[in-house]
Amino acid sequence: MNTEISFAACRAGKASQLPRHRLLRVLLLSAGPLLAGVATAQEIPRYAPPPPMPAANARLPTVVLMSMGGTIASRGAPRLNITNYGGKDYPRVDPQDWVNDLPEIRGIANIVLEDQRAPQERASSETHEDFARVARRLNELARDPKIDGIVVTHGTNTMAETAYYMNLVVKTDKPIVFVGSQRPWTGLSGDGPRNLYDAVRVAASPQSRGKGVLHAMNQFINPARDVNKSSAYRVQTFRGIDVGAIGFVDPDKVVFYREPVRRHTSGSEFAGNDYQSLPRVEVAYAYRDAPGYLIDAMVANGARGIVVEGTGAGSPTSDQTEAIKRAQAKGVVVVATARTEGGRVQDTPRRREARIVPGDNLVPEKARILLQLALTKTQDLGEVKRIFDEY
Amino acid sequence: MIRRSLLVAVLASALLTPLGAYAQTALPKVKLFTTGGTIQSKGAHRQKLMEYSDGRVTPQELLDDLPELKDLAEISTMEVANVGSGNIAAEQLLTLAREINAWLARPEATGAVVTHGTATLEETAYFLNLTVHSQKPVVMVGAMRPFTAVSRDGPMNLYNAVRVAVAPQSRGMGVLIMLNDEINAARDTTKTNTYRVETFVARDLGPLGFADSDRIAYYRRPLYRHTYRSEFNVDQLSTLPRVDVAYTYQEADGAAIDAFVTAGAKGIVLTGGGGDAVKAAQNKGVLIVNSDRKGAGRVVESEKVAASGRITSDNLPPHKARILLRLALTKTQDPKQIQRMFNEY
Repeated sequence: MNTEISFAACRAGKASQLPRHRLLRVLLLSAGPLLAGVATAQEIPRYAPPPPMPAANARLPTVVLMSMGGTIASRGAPRLNITNYGGKDYPRVDPQDWVNDLPEIRGIANIVLEDQRAPQERASSETHEDFARVARRLNELARDPKIDGIVVTHGTNTMAETAYYMNLVVKTDKPIVFVGSQRPWTGLSGDGPRNLYDAVRVAASPQSRGKGVLHAMNQFINPARDVNKSSAYRVQTFRGIDVGAIGFVDPDKVVFYREPVRRHTSGSEFAGNDYQSLPRVEVAYAYRDAPGYLIDAMVANGARGIVVEGTGAGSPTSDQTEAIKRAQAKGVVVVATARTEGGRVQDTPRRREARIVPGDNLVPEKARILLQLALTKTQDLGEVKRIFDEY
Repeated sequence: MIRRSLLVAVLASALLTPLGAYAQTALPKVKLFTTGGTIQSKGAHRQKLMEYSDGRVTPQELLDDLPELKDLAEISTMEVANVGSGNIAAEQLLTLAREINAWLARPEATGAVVTHGTATLEETAYFLNLTVHSQKPVVMVGAMRPFTAVSRDGPMNLYNAVRVAVAPQSRGMGVLIMLNDEINAARDTTKTNTYRVETFVARDLGPLGFADSDRIAYYRRPLYRHTYRSEFNVDQLSTLPRVDVAYTYQEADGAAIDAFVTAGAKGIVLTGGGGDAVKAAQNKGVLIVNSDRKGAGRVVESEKVAASGRITSDNLPPHKARILLRLALTKTQDPKQIQRMFNEY
């Protein structure tokens, strides 16, 4: 039947409650997809803005809500579209929109908004420049005595990498909580609002201090080091493959059962530094007959480190092994991880002989980040191994 | 060049250490407390993986079977029982707690390893987690395949349990469970499979670390109170209060609850519901804990539940909530105090 009509009716009903400038925006938003030939108009769940922010409540903790964008900051249409949203036709969700749509978060913290999104034209391809800027800002906020905790929104695809990077370079015991959503802010049964509300609860909780950068989605609290995205679209996507969650955001309370023992944040030797650029490190995937020339190309393009995502317990193919030897002869440091994802790559006599550093149970994209930071300090294999043992 | 040869020298010496150097230096002292279970069971033939009741393995046989342990630790033994874990009762629990406390109080003791049948291993582990007052490692170990079976898992589990018990990083982690290379926390771990070797899983939280060939690697430290931070003391106890578990299902009525009260239960753990029989039990002073049958997730606290005088079990499964309630009842009958304990342990 005619979903177009019901969506349109719904939109008209909402629009009548909106002040004029918002109405104009909604109409403009609607025009984009219509002109582009999209079948249905969109419904944007916007509400009349709540009253102006009350004066800071002294009893509440102060939490910075920082946007690095992501699905949680995206709109799409119609609301059943949860795979193909965002882009130039749909304005992003501004930080103020979150507070307008989710006024309840003011009941748990004094919210300070901060926009650290990359420009829209390269929103899904952030570069180290963006991460360095955000790391600098997080270090500043961490030093500000008025701030109790920080929530950072991020696209889910590379969120675990960004969170791990911040886990290593931000010097603080204050909670930094990464959050995102699997469905756009406008999606039916969108997980964004619940996740955002819960992330603020975690950031506002004194128990969250000293546990490193955290990740909170779908009511699970995971440490940045061990959490990975495991499902493309399900709302239960972030999990630790080898080691699990450390706590939960339940209806009654934020509860922690574990703390991570690997070094992080205030205990990190990399924390507090401003890394304007990092040495080039690339990832080489292993599969049957995987050739060595990709590794040669990485070295030719300036790689100072190679992370091999090996088969089984972390093994490269024989062609890759020959290329690794050529790379090592040029001073390139090689770390082994496993494409099994679960399980540690161990320190073995053969691996020592091959001068390959075991990557513990880090996924390759995180081993890459740690190797980049390690290479800013040392090229010594024993020292790099110590770093992989400790972080 | 110098740096490289130095590295080679360091690596070479590290490689030789496990076999060479330990023998000359004083070995750590570990006591092996044995209670029986599959790890100490013999079957009629080596393909027998069930109904293996053709003899028991003594503590000495366990050690003779695994001479590699001599490189890890100086091991003494104490046989507390040699039974299947279905036969472990309050008497054995109290004996174990007392004997382990006595052993770990000795300055020369490094740690303790406890063999146990896997069926109720997690219950004993949690009990010891609440009643052993030491930071020294206590490691529970068992096997899914008997001593006589092809590809038995017991020897590697036992070897790793001793490795974990002598590892300095294991101190202060609470009682640990060691099977299948995984180091799990007593509180959070449950048997999830009847026969597979990867049976012990902490569904909500995952393992604490791993016993890999290169080293003992930890990633997590438990935060709930345990061992050296526990308020429970069983030194003077000869028995524990009776607590039963009433399972909930469609059409479950109060018959089981009534019967437990008649049998003398001081506490009852429910997996939900309960109806009028619960109120009748409460009127007789029986404490009620709400747990759940799903095996993952917390039973959350609510004003409504608190007003009904019930206690919520956090994410403890019913059989572990039972153990905490038994110990709680040795100290208090106050539901608020007991709720605090469920929030802390």
